[in-house]
Amino acid sequence: MVYQDTIKLAPQEHGATDITDLISAIIDDSKIKIGTCQLFVHNSMSSLLINDTADESTKSQTADFLAQLAPTSDGITNIIDNSMDAIPSAMRTAIMQTSISFPVNRGRPLLGTWQGIYLWERTTQPKERKLTVTIIGE
Amino acid sequence: MLHQKKLRFSTTGRGTYNITRQITETIENSGIKFGICHIFIQHTSASLILCENADKTVREDLNAYMARLVKDGDSIFKHKDEGPDDMAAHVRTILTQSSLSIPIYKGKCDLGLWQGVFLWEHRTNSHKRNIAVTIMGES
Repeated sequence: MVYQDTIKLAPQEHGATDITDLISAIIDDSKIKIGTCQLFVHNSMSSLLINDTADESTKSQTADFLAQLAPTSDGITNIIDNSMDAIPSAMRTAIMQTSISFPVNRGRPLLGTWQGIYLWERTTQPKERKLTVTIIGE
Repeated sequence: MLHQKKLRFSTTGRGTYNITRQITETIENSGIKFGICHIFIQHTSASLILCENADKTVREDLNAYMARLVKDGDSIFKHKDEGPDDMAAHVRTILTQSSLSIPIYKGKCDLGLWQGVFLWEHRTNSHKRNIAVTIMGES
């Protein structure tokens, strides 16, 4: 059985937004109990990731680190390591994912205790985002 | 046809652990001959990679590169309760991935000759790591 739903997410502020409950509800609607769920964002300015839910500061510190790793093209400064070349903002697209997938079991995402699903908005001018959820299973 | 199994691995500190054999055995036990094997790690401080399996210095170099890229106890990190390696481990996990999808051909992982599936442990202490394997396809 294959279930696919495309949803529009309202503009989210810059940074990570927890969408675990939203995705769990879609899996519930699909009636699929066991299989895999793939998420795909239809743009290149936001990303998907699975991140730690236990400590709020984990999200913001990951954001700070990634900002250092791939600074925006205005005023690139090499602040991580003098032996590394400056990385253009395109690298941020390359190192973050437009799709993620995870198992489904008993009709729910089979995540670890501290794993959550996040939409990461990388632009400071957020827009409505299209997200497709494809669940394959039984 | 669908088959799902949980595997558990003990890690003894930072580094890469070859789990190709256990994944291959799981596929063989499923009876599925053609399809996709989805591998998912249920943690946020260890990740999954495909990497060269021939020369172990490749993985030693990966460890060295990652240690230089993401430093323990980086001054920008505020999350310190679980030790200086913890926040670095979260970032390393995000820079790699939590899942892999590998095609299955004639009952085996359709990997390149020198590709192996590795669990990459990013914490310094010993841990038990759970990996969910979902195999979908036809016999």
